[in-house]
Amino acid sequence: MTAARGTLSALAAVSLLGLVPVAGGAADSPPPRPNEVVEPVPPGETIGILGKKVWGPDGEDMGLIVDVLVDARGRARAAIIDFGGFLGVGSRKVAVDWRLLRVTPGDNARQVSLGLARADIQAAPEYKPGGPSVEMIGPPPGTPTAPAGNK
Amino acid sequence: MAQAGNPCAGAATAASAERGLDWLNLFVANIQTGFGPFVAVYLTTQGWTQAAIGLALSLGTVASMASQVPAGAVVDAVRSKAAVALASVLAFSASALLLALRPVPLFVYAAEILHGFSSCTLGPAIAAMSLAIAGPAMLGLRLGRNARFASIGTGVGAALMGACGYLVSEQAVFFLTAALTLPAIWSLRPLRRIEAPAPPPREPGDCRSDARRIVRLLTGRALVTFALCAMLFTLANAAMLPLVAGELTKRGGNDASLLIAACIVLPQGIVALLSPTIGQLAQKRGRRLVLLLGFSMLPLRGLLFAGLTAPLPLVAIQALDGVAATCIGVLVPLVTSDIAGRSGHFNLALGFVGLAIGVGATASTGLAGWAADRYGTEWAFLCLAAVGLAATLLVLLAMPETRRE
Repeated sequence: MTAARGTLSALAAVSLLGLVPVAGGAADSPPPRPNEVVEPVPPGETIGILGKKVWGPDGEDMGLIVDVLVDARGRARAAIIDFGGFLGVGSRKVAVDWRLLRVTPGDNARQVSLGLARADIQAAPEYKPGGPSVEMIGPPPGTPTAPAGNK
Repeated sequence: MAQAGNPCAGAATAASAERGLDWLNLFVANIQTGFGPFVAVYLTTQGWTQAAIGLALSLGTVASMASQVPAGAVVDAVRSKAAVALASVLAFSASALLLALRPVPLFVYAAEILHGFSSCTLGPAIAAMSLAIAGPAMLGLRLGRNARFASIGTGVGAALMGACGYLVSEQAVFFLTAALTLPAIWSLRPLRRIEAPAPPPREPGDCRSDARRIVRLLTGRALVTFALCAMLFTLANAAMLPLVAGELTKRGGNDASLLIAACIVLPQGIVALLSPTIGQLAQKRGRRLVLLLGFSMLPLRGLLFAGLTAPLPLVAIQALDGVAATCIGVLVPLVTSDIAGRSGHFNLALGFVGLAIGVGATASTGLAGWAADRYGTEWAFLCLAAVGLAATLLVLLAMPETRRE
C-alpha cells in the first residue's frame, strides 16, 4: 500500500512537470485544454527531476537522473540514471522502472531515492537511446508489469 | 645558440626560467583536468539535458579544432610567448568562472569556445618557450621535463578535483579550477623576458614567398607523415580509457570509481618517472626508436584489454598507457621542432599536428562506440588495437628520422 502511495506521489511530481497531460486523455486526441490558465502549485509539492542525485538505501550516491522515458499517455515509465565513474569518465546509463523511485520533495537532502543495491544497477544492461528496445530494471514485486490502465 | 640573443643569459635567471616552466606545466595540467569530461557531470547536475550538453561539448571541440592552425600562426607572430601564455591562462580563468557562476547556455557556450581556443594558443606557447630556453640541441631533455611536471599536475589535479566534487559540490570544482589559474600566472613571472629567436630575416613585401614557404612546410613529407601517425595514434588511444572505465563500472564492485581514478593517475605516475629518460633517449638514439616504443604500446594494450576481465589487471595494463603517453608527449613537440623549428613557423606546424590529433580523438570515441554497440567491448578493444598496429607500421615504414646530427 505504501509502495502504491509512493508511486502516486512520484507520478504527481512529474505531472506538474508537464509530462502527464490529464489522466484519461487518449493518445491520438488533441492535448486537453485547462479550465483555467494558471493553476498554483503549493511550494514543496513538486521538484524538477533532471540532474537530481539519486540516493541508495544506505545513503550512497547512485548517480544522476539524466532523462525520463514517458509512454504515449505521458506517463513516466523509466528514469535514466547516469551511474558511477570518476570525474565523468566511465559512467554508464541505465534505465530503472519509474515505480522504483521515491520522490520526497520536502526532504532537501535526499529528494530522490531508490531501493536498489549498487550491484543491481551495475549488472543492468546499458541504456542506449535510439536502440531497438529499452531494457530497464523491472518494477517492484507484486506490481503489474505495465502501469494499470495503460492498455 | 638560442640563448645568444636572450636578455636573460645569466645562469641564475636561466635556472629560474626553467623552474617557472616546470610550475607552469604543472598548473596548466591541473587546470585542464577541470575542463575534461567532468563538465558533462556538472551540467547534468544543473538540469541540462543530454542533447544540450552534447551541443555545448561539441562546440568546444569544433572551436579547438578550427583554431589549432590559426592559433599556431598567432603564436608565431607574437614575439613574447609569455604574453600569449598569460592571455591563455586568463581565458581559462574566465572560462572556469563562467561555468561556475552562470551555467546557462550562452555562457557555457562562450566558456567552451574560449577554452577551446586558448588551449590551442597555450600548448604552442609553452613549446616555443621551451625551445627558446633549451635550444634545439637540448630540447628533448626540456620536453621530458615538461611532460614530467604536466603529468604530476594531471595526477594531482584529478585527485584534488575528484575529492572536491565528492566532498563539496560539482560547482566547487570550477571555482577550484579558476583558483588554480593564479599560481599558473605566478609561474609565468620568470618567463616574461623569454623571447623566441627571431625568425629568418625576410624582405618587406615578400608575403608570397612566405606563403609558399608555409605551404611547402605543411605539405612536406616528414610533417604530413608525422601528423598522420599522430592522428592514428590518437584514433587508437583516445577511446581506450573511457571504454575500460565503463567496463570497471560494470564489474568493479563498490570500488569501481576508485579503480577508474587509479586508471587515470597510474599512467601519470609512469609519465613522471619515465619522461626525462625518454627525452634523453630521443636525444641520443633518435626519434624513430622512441616513436616505435610508444606506438607499439597501443596494439599490446588493446589486446590485453580485450583478453582480460578482472578489475585489477585492467588497472595494471594502464601502465602501458603511461609509456605511450610519455613517448607521444615528448615526441610531438620535439619532432615538430626538428621539422619546423628554424622556419619561424614552428607553432603553425604544431597547430597542424594538433589538428590531426583532434580529428583522431573525435573519431576514436565514435569508432569505439560503434564497435562496442555492434560487436561488444572485446571487439572494440581489438578494433582499437588494429588501428594502433597500423599506426606503428606507418611509423616503421614511412616516418623518417628527424634528429639532426
